This record gives sequence, C-alpha cells and structure tokens, in this order.
Amino acid sequence: MGPDPDYRCGVSTETYADWLRARDDDELRALFACRPELITPVPSDITALSSRASAPSALSRALDRLDRLALSVFEALLVLPSPTTYEDLAAAVGADVRGALGRLRSLALVWGDDDELRVAPGARGAVPHPAGLGPPAKEAFASYPSDRMTALLDDLGLGSVQAICERIGPLVADAGPEARAALDRLAWGPPIGKVEGARRPVTLASANSPIERLLARGLLAATDDRTVTLPREVGLFLRGGRVFRDLETAPPPLGGTVRERKLVDSTAGGQAFTTVRTIEDLLERWGVDPPGVLRSGGLGIRDLRATATHLDLPEWTTALLVEVAYAAGLLARSGDYDGSGMGSRGGDAVWLPTPAYDLWRLHDTERRWVTVAGAWLRMDRVPGLAGERDERDRLINALSDEAIRASAPQVRRATLEALADAPAGTAPATEGVYANLAWHQPRRGGVLRERLVGWTLREAEALGVTGFRALAQHTRVLLAGGDAEAALRAVLPTPVDHVMIQADLTAVAPGPLVADLARELALAADVESTGGATVYRFTPESVRRALDAGRGASELIELLTRHSTTALPQPLSYLIEDVARRHGRLRVGIASAYVRSDDPAVLEEIMADRRAEQLRLHRLAPTVLASRVPRSELLDGLRVLGYAPVAESPEGSVVITRLDSQRADTAGHGAYEPAHQSVFGSGPDGSVITAAVRALRAGDEAARVAAPNGSPPRSPAAAMVQRLREATDRGGRVWIGYLDQQGQASSRIIEPARIEGGFLTAYDATRAAVHRFALHRITGVADVDGAG
Amino acid sequence: MTDGPLIVQSDKTLLLEVDHDAAAECRKAIAPFAELERAPEHVHTYRITPLALWNARAAGHDAEQVIDALISFARYPVPHALLVDIADTMGRYGRLRLEKHPTYGLVLSSSDRAVLEEVLRAKKLQAMFGPRVDDDSVAVHPSERGTLKQALLKLGWPAEDLAGYVDGEAHPISLVEDGWGLRGYQREAADSFWHGGSGVVVLPCGAGKTIVGAAAMAHASATTLILVTNTVSAHQWKQELLRRTSLTEEEIGEYTGTKKQIRPVTIATYQVMTTRRKGVYTHLELFDARDWGLVLYDEVHLLPAPIFRMTADLQTRRRLGLTATLVREDGREGDVFSLIGPKRYDAPWKEMEAQGWIAPADCVEVRVTLTESERLAYATAEQEDRYRFCATTPTKSSVVQALVDRHRGEQTLVIGQYIDQLDELGERLDAPVIKGETKIKERERLFDAFRSGEISVLIVSKVANFSIDLPEAAVAVQVSGTFGSRQEEAQRLGRVLRPKSSGKGARFYSVVARDTLDQDYAAHRQRFLAEQGYAYRIVDADAVLADEEI
Repeated sequence: MGPDPDYRCGVSTETYADWLRARDDDELRALFACRPELITPVPSDITALSSRASAPSALSRALDRLDRLALSVFEALLVLPSPTTYEDLAAAVGADVRGALGRLRSLALVWGDDDELRVAPGARGAVPHPAGLGPPAKEAFASYPSDRMTALLDDLGLGSVQAICERIGPLVADAGPEARAALDRLAWGPPIGKVEGARRPVTLASANSPIERLLARGLLAATDDRTVTLPREVGLFLRGGRVFRDLETAPPPLGGTVRERKLVDSTAGGQAFTTVRTIEDLLERWGVDPPGVLRSGGLGIRDLRATATHLDLPEWTTALLVEVAYAAGLLARSGDYDGSGMGSRGGDAVWLPTPAYDLWRLHDTERRWVTVAGAWLRMDRVPGLAGERDERDRLINALSDEAIRASAPQVRRATLEALADAPAGTAPATEGVYANLAWHQPRRGGVLRERLVGWTLREAEALGVTGFRALAQHTRVLLAGGDAEAALRAVLPTPVDHVMIQADLTAVAPGPLVADLARELALAADVESTGGATVYRFTPESVRRALDAGRGASELIELLTRHSTTALPQPLSYLIEDVARRHGRLRVGIASAYVRSDDPAVLEEIMADRRAEQLRLHRLAPTVLASRVPRSELLDGLRVLGYAPVAESPEGSVVITRLDSQRADTAGHGAYEPAHQSVFGSGPDGSVITAAVRALRAGDEAARVAAPNGSPPRSPAAAMVQRLREATDRGGRVWIGYLDQQGQASSRIIEPARIEGGFLTAYDATRAAVHRFALHRITGVADVDGAG
Repeated sequence: MTDGPLIVQSDKTLLLEVDHDAAAECRKAIAPFAELERAPEHVHTYRITPLALWNARAAGHDAEQVIDALISFARYPVPHALLVDIADTMGRYGRLRLEKHPTYGLVLSSSDRAVLEEVLRAKKLQAMFGPRVDDDSVAVHPSERGTLKQALLKLGWPAEDLAGYVDGEAHPISLVEDGWGLRGYQREAADSFWHGGSGVVVLPCGAGKTIVGAAAMAHASATTLILVTNTVSAHQWKQELLRRTSLTEEEIGEYTGTKKQIRPVTIATYQVMTTRRKGVYTHLELFDARDWGLVLYDEVHLLPAPIFRMTADLQTRRRLGLTATLVREDGREGDVFSLIGPKRYDAPWKEMEAQGWIAPADCVEVRVTLTESERLAYATAEQEDRYRFCATTPTKSSVVQALVDRHRGEQTLVIGQYIDQLDELGERLDAPVIKGETKIKERERLFDAFRSGEISVLIVSKVANFSIDLPEAAVAVQVSGTFGSRQEEAQRLGRVLRPKSSGKGARFYSVVARDTLDQDYAAHRQRFLAEQGYAYRIVDADAVLADEEI
C-alpha cells in the first residue's frame, strides 16, 4: 500500500509539514513519546518527518494506539468532506469529541484548526472502510469501463453517478424488499459482499435476483468478478445519515466483584513472599543440579516437570517462575551453547543461576519481589506458551525463543492498567477485561491478545501482583513508578526472631525469620515445610552439617536456647551432644592419587626429594603417601624422579570431589536480552526525545535557512559534520541517530574522538566500546547536555 | 493481619499453635477436613489431603465452610491457589453417585455429564458398567460396587454411595449398662457411624473401641461379623460383648484356627480369613454364611490386602472400621476410604488424656552403654545380626532388673522381640514368659493371673502387640522392638494407657543401647509418639542402676 494521493482536495504534504513545523518543542516531544518510530532514526528535517509520519506503516502503528472513541472520530473525519469543522465532526459522531481530537492532534493524525480539520496525508489508505462504509460512488464505479457505465446510466435514464446518489431512496424502493434486505446486511459494514459473476451485464429488464436488481440500479458496484461493494452514499442512506450505530464513548466497566482492599493486599503480599522464596528454592536447586540447555535454547519438558514436582507446583507456574527468573537476569545459559549440539541437547550448556542472583538474594523480600515483578511486566517472553505446540506442531519449550511474543509486555501492562483504573479491590471477570481492552485498543484484538490477557491474570495471581484477582496496592504503586518496595513492606509479615522447639525434634518459626537466625537454623536443621511459617527438623545429618561448618555443640545449644520461646527439649540436646561426640572421629581429606610401598624408606626418600614438591605429596602413614595431583601425573612425576611405579586398579584409588554449587560463567551471551526498543514498550526516555527534537530543529534550520554572507547553503549532512567536529574539539558527548549496515536504526550517545575519511571514531557510551561510524549513515546529531 | 492461631503452609499443612487462646476453637473448625499428622507439645500439624477433604464432604461440610475456617483462623494470608484447590477437590466428591434403580438395580449417575463421559471412557472401568440408562446415568454390575468405588477414587472422582444397605438378618442386641455407662464420645462415635451408614471410627488405644463396636451392634440389632487381628483378641471381644451387651455365650461364635462356629455374632481372625489352600481362600463362605447386617473391622490400619478384596464384594452390608490411626504403613488409606467408608469420628489422644479417659504416660528412654568388648563385637558383626546384637546386649538385663525392682508392687510388663533375651530375663526376674509357642489356654491363664494381681511381672514377646486388654499394667519396659516400627511403639504404649483404678500415671521405659542401630531405630519409633505429644525423657542407665530419682 503506497501513500495514497488525496483525491478530495489539494492538501499537500507541504502544508502538513508546515503544521508540524509550527508545533512547539513540547508538542513535538509529546508526539515522539507516543510515536517513537518517528525518531528511529531521527529524520533530517521536518519535511522528512512529515513524509515519514504519513507513511502507511507509521500511520497504521499510530492508529493501533487509538482507543475506540478516538478511532471513531478519526474514521468520521475520513467519511466527512475535508476540511471539516469541529461542529460537523461532533454532530457526525454524536458525542463530545474534544478529548479524542486532542489525542489525534498530539499524534499528528489530525491537523489544522477547529474550523479546518484534516487527517494526515495518506490516512485514507490506512483505513480501507472507515466506519464500515464503502468508497464514495464515484470511486466505486471508477473500475467500470466507460461503455458499461454509459449502458448502466442509460438503462436508468440518468446522466451521471451523482444523479444515482441523488435518487437513492426511490431506487431502493424500486428494487423491492428482498433487495432491501440484502442491502441492510451490508449497511453497517463490511460494505463488500461476495457474489458469483458480479461483472455480468445486467439491465433493469434482465435482472432476476435481488443482487442483480441492485447492480442494475447502481446501488451496488461490482468491484471484480466475485465482489460487490456498497457505495458510501448508499450506506449512509441506509444508516439514516448516521455514521455510527452505537458508539461506546467510554470504556466498558470491568464488572466482577469488589473485594476488601486489606484482604487483597495481604493475600497478594503473602503470594509475593512465596514467589520470592520459591524462586530462591528453584535456583538453589539448579545451582547444584542444573538442567541442560536444549538445542532450541530452551528447557526440556522433562526438566520442567521434574522441577514442578520438586516445587510441588503446576507446570505452568513453574514455567512462569523459570521465565521470570531468566528475564530478571537471575538465570542464564552457561557453557558451550551454540544451538548446534548433537541430539536434543545443545552441547554441554546448562541453565545456571547468575552472579546477579547472589546479589539479589542478599536483598530484602520486597526489593527482590520488585525486581522479579518488574522483569515480568517488561519481558516479551510468554510463559503460558510453554508446553503448547506451534503452528508446525512442534513443542514450545520454556526459555526457548519460540516463547517470545512481541506484544506481550504491552498487553500485560494494558491488562494491569485496566485493573488499576477500576475501583480498588475490583476482581474482574476475564471477559470484562477482554471487553475493556477491546475498547482501549480496538485494532489490536485477536486470539493471541485474549490468551495473553488470560495468562496475565493467571500469572499476576501466582506472582502476588494481584490478590483474589484484584490489583494489590503495591502493584498499583509499581505501575505508577512509585516506591513499590515500601508499599509491599507494609503488607509483608514482620520477621520474627524466635522459634518454638518441640520434642519431636522440630522447630517452628511462626513467621519469616530475621536473616541471621534463618541462616543458622538452615545450617543446623532441614527445612521441612515452608509457607507463612517454616518448619525445621533436626536430624543427625543436619546437626553434623552445623558442626562441619564450625559450630560447637554448646554454641548450638546456646543459640537455640536463646531463640526458643519454649524450653529446649531434652531429646534435642541429647541429639546434638551425641552427634558432637561422634563428630570428627573419622577424618577425611582430599586426595587424587596415592603412593603405596611396603618399604617405608623409599617413601622417606621421595618425601625428602625437593623435586617431588610439585607432586603435592602428604604422608598419611609410614607406608602411604597421598597426592593431590591426578594419578597419571603422579606416575609420570615419579618416573621422572627415577622410580618405576606401577598403577593400581581403580578400586583402590580415592577420588573425592566436592559437589559444589555452580554459577553461570558468562555474563551476556546466555543471559536474557530484552527486545530492542519495542515500539509497544514504554518508549524512549525523555533525554533521547529531547535530543531528537533538538536535532530535528537544527536539521530543519539548516535545510531551510541560507547561510549569511552568500556562502552556499549548508546541507544537513554538512551541518551534522560540523556539529560532530565541534563536539570532538570540545570533548563533549553528543547524541546520534545511526543506521547500521543492516539498515537497523539505533540511537546512541557517543564521545567523538576524530573524523577522517568519511568515518567518525567515537566512544559509544551506549555500548561501552569504541566504534567507527560511517558519516553518511548518521541521521541526526544533538547535544546530550547543554543547549542544542 | 489477624493474630490467628493457624499458619497455612504451602505444602498444604496447617500449623496450629496450641497455647493460643483460640486454639481449641480453631481445632474444632479444622478437624473435619484436615488430618492430624503430628501433635507435639507446642505446634500441631494438620494436613489437608484430598481424602481428608472428601471425608469432610461426606460428613456434610462444604468448601465454603472449609475456606471460611482457614481464612478466619489463619495468621497470614492464605494462598489463593490453595483455596481454589480446596474448592476444586471438594467439588469432585459427589459429582458421581451410586444409586438404586428400580429396573437396573444399581446405577452410577452424575449431575455433570462431562465427568460421567470421562469415567465411561476410562479403560479400566469399561467392564464394570452395564447398559447406559440415560444421558446422566449408567447401570453398574452390582458385584462391582466396591471395585468401581476404588477405581473412581483413583481417577479422582470419588463416588458418593447412596445405594443403601440390606438390613440383614435381624437379631436383638442391646447394651447392658450395669455399673458402667457409655461415655459421651463413644456414643457420639457410634451415632455418627450409624448416620453415615458405613465408615471408620478413629479412637486411641484404651479409649474403648470395643464398646463403640458394641454400641454400633446395638444400633443395627442384626447379625454381625467381627473381623479381628488374632485369636487372643477374638477372645477378648467375646468377653467384652458378654459383659457389655445382652448377648449370651450361645449367640457368639468363634471362627479361628481351632474353632469354626458360625452364630448370630461371629468373631473371625484376619489370619483364618486369609488362609489359602492351593491358591484358594478356603473360608470365603463365611461372608455368605449368614445374611450379616453389620461387618465390623478391628484395627483397620492392619487390614490385609485379601480382606480388602473380599470387602469389595460386601458393599451392600454396613461396615464399621475401628482403628487408632488412619495412617497405614502401606499407604492404602484410599482403599479404606472407598471400601469401608469415610472417617466418621475422630479424637486426638492428648485430648482424650486431658479428659481423663486414658491414663497419662511418662515415657523414658534409658541409655545403656556397651562395654568395650561388646562394642568391638558389635562393630564387626554381620550387617543382618547387628540389630539383634545391640538390642539383646547383656548389659540391658541388669538395667531391666533395676527398673522392675524400682516399680515393685506395680503391674509391670516387659516387652521384647527376641525370645532368647526374653527367656533369659524370665529366669533373672523369675517371671513367666508369653511367646509365640505359648498355648492360647496358658496365655489366657497368665493374663488372668496378671489381671488379678496374682503375678505382677509378665514378660511378653510381640504376640502381645495387639488387642490384649491388660487393665492394670502400670509399667512397661521395652527391651527390643521390630526394628523401627512406629506402629508397634504406639501399640505398646497403648498397653499402659488404659485408666488405672489408682488414677496414677503410667510409665513406659525403652531400654536402648547407646551409639548403635538400637538407638537409631528407637529414635524412629519414638518419633510417632513424640508427634502424638508423648515426649521422651532420656536418662542414663547409670542413674537407674544407682537408684537415682529419674
């Protein structure tokens, strides 16, 4: 679809550009904030901006952002003659359109004053059937060959298409009730119908069927062999002159039940606490026993199921937590992952917690939750897809690229915002949310959106974003960009510093424990169940663990006595003392290989040899040496020393390795990377927009204003180079728009170093590296700090 | 946030703080739908299982009540997912009903067609169904009533059995309350069983389960088949019934290894019922020998698998199960639910004790240290002999002697696993030993003598684990056990829990060899009792030998 020339009146892009140029900086900023694709890359001047803003794809994206009312106002403008006055527009829509019009103007979809309203150039092409109306009759019959047109008009005894439009009433009546019924089906859109042999010639006399009677009267136009179109004038006549049938001027209420706010907040808070804890549980486990990375880059269904069983959660909740941990940077692929491994596994790569996880773990619950919830809100990953099949019937694995849907973050936010707009405590029905979203973004509907909405509501409940399906206060604050941590802290249970110890060797912490005590208890006892409280069980193994970590028996008993609200039961102190008594009776060390000889003197000799130091030998007994180097190395080493050792069968060798918790080794290539500047996302930040406006104004100035003293007008490119040179001399930072070799547009903040041979060498602050930029690919320059 | 006594855990356990002011009220509210798992001194643990929820549904509670109880007593917010799960699970019970039908006899009907369709498509069930009656019901072969219920439970759609029971052959039975009276909870237990039709009554040892059985029989006033664990137990049932009811010697039959009497009330042992000859159960005809109006199962948690299978065919008769615990070590709780029936009554041990119906008990573990040479011998013993070695260490004998001396004048039981050890103790203490080879007659003579106080020390092997009524045993000394069986420990403690005429508390000693398998097993066994609130004290054998206050 190319830019559609405006056929109705002589509005040229020139005047639209003038209107744009007349916008003040704030208005341009608002425009770019809403339509960030207009400044990626930054157009060289306002003329370029105006043509970009009227490109079909740009218009389509802008229209996608309109709600039902604004879209209707826009469509009404397309139907009304151009230019139109505000009064005519309001009358056609039948509602107060002031707000919607303001929004359309700020998006530069509508321009001009109230007495001369016009749509942006190219807009007609973007909406094929505005308000469900067909093209004007003149256009609808444009495809008729002239002889056929003449025949039609002659048959009707009329002079022109315009004459048909003036006689619609009598013609419809003449066609008969069956034909009227056929017309009524097309009246409210879509204004096209499918008919066999639509192009066959018909006359008033030869017309048999209702459709033929309509074609013969010029009330329908045959667009091609199988399609008939209802001309706009006929459509408006059938509608009694109204443009819209039942326009919803406000979003439909969500419906559902209203719950007590306190209950909602505390339930969501409890769930938030559980979420953080479960993610920790999950990643702790994966740190020790990491699942493999599939060739597709995802997580195997079996691993997902095993984890679900371990966590005692449904699979979808498990997939959700895994995905969120990944999006929050707490989990990453590690090892050789190139997507080309043999079999179903992608090489040796595994899923491991990242170093960022270790930092995350140190924070308070509320901060950890905000990290996780924020990642969920922003991620383009859709956990709900895990376990489903794609269009080629292949399983979609969690953590794989197949589980990405670009519109996910936008739908997620829109869903939560719909909840936020409703009265506090509203627990809506899913259908209510569908309807609400359909009003807010009528052009973005579809099955995927409905599924995303369903998943969002379900996931929000599981993560503690909602409680009893109503939006929690801390989420409200999070969406508004406020201090969500404080809001969450207010509903989380207060940490306790005591436990109740019982004779069955369990200790119950009746709430979340203060960190120190939690750590000590986790060392000395096994966690048996979690939730609002934590149940610990002391076993010989757990007590041994504490002793291994350097705690003494009396120290342990003292700690427990101090923090127990109840008397320490005797069996527990016996247990601790029993284990302590036996602790350390056997000693175990690490050795990779050993040297054995019946002759202690030979071993004496080896120990005395200085060259043997690198063999890291240690005498265990008169006839045994232990070494920490591998057996083969030890054999070679001894041979070098002039001995003739023989290897013993593997049954005798002692190889002890500690099972250690691992971490993902690569920061970057295995970690979650959020999608590039999503147009559906929150958009570019303010400083980038401001810089873009400045660059645009500068380019526009350069393009239009001739330089003084008669020197040749500087091209925008020359102006840009000049700006870059100045920045190089000054050593300052500038903002540039850049098209890379693939034509991918990006915005970067750089510190120019030098310009030579058509290239700019600069430190790229956005990517933290020095880069060479081709000057001809730089689309705009603006100062980052200081006046532009 | 409320300050409730209950904390809901993510693994569906409920923690009840017992010292909380609202604890009693909370217990009452959650007991119908949560199984008491552990009841140590401060925090009791209940678990919400599908079976527990279905038990609650069967008792007429709905999800609303359950959720309300949780929310109003919980200290912290209850996870929404848990509440949804509860509502879902409870909603599954009763979606299918087994009902009587005038032409088809027995039908399975449903208010939810999708569920019925799902069930009809299940492969394993195909053979159990007859023709489709209408959209909402299907005929069921009457012989499959029990197996169908079992299978449906496994599918997660437990059926409500509304098909009723046959009255059976009427036979007048009434309680004779002379010098004793039915206790409140016993009456309640018998009544709720009767209203429920079939099911299980859970009462701790010593709480008079036999009497509940007798009361149920009086309700039915019909011929009754009683299944018990062993012959001694059978005799005791008979004695109790003669004492407590209008039944006479001639009306009660014994169906055991030696006697095969079939009378209006017949007491049979599990053992004889499960005897097979050439792969055939030879005594099955007993079930059809009379038109039984009530079948009574003693110690349901020990019910052997063949009896389950036979019970599946007895679904038209009223069934009462009696037990101290629903926990089965083989995990067949679901079969108890579907074949015998839902739980109809339940009271926790500690509460019974607080009411004075069972004697308070003081549990003491006496730690014996092995001598150096014993330790060496233990360390080098074969794996399979090790437990026997440490459990029967000679050092224990002197400690047992000291304990018995300490309680001279009180009725004392010495319980053990190994016959050699018991024989040796018998000589040392000059006390009779009851073991597997002891004749039934002799056993009963000894029990009678012990009961009457003629002898005050009795040594018994594991034959005495179950169902022996020794009212005046005030002290029990356990010298060895069946490895780590928790069940056994509970049964043995039960020996001393019956209320004493003196009103004195009971003592339960467990003599254990330090730093050996014996100690590990003891710890495992004791866990069950500690979870029931019977905390063990540990004392050193030296303190016992030195006659110190313990």
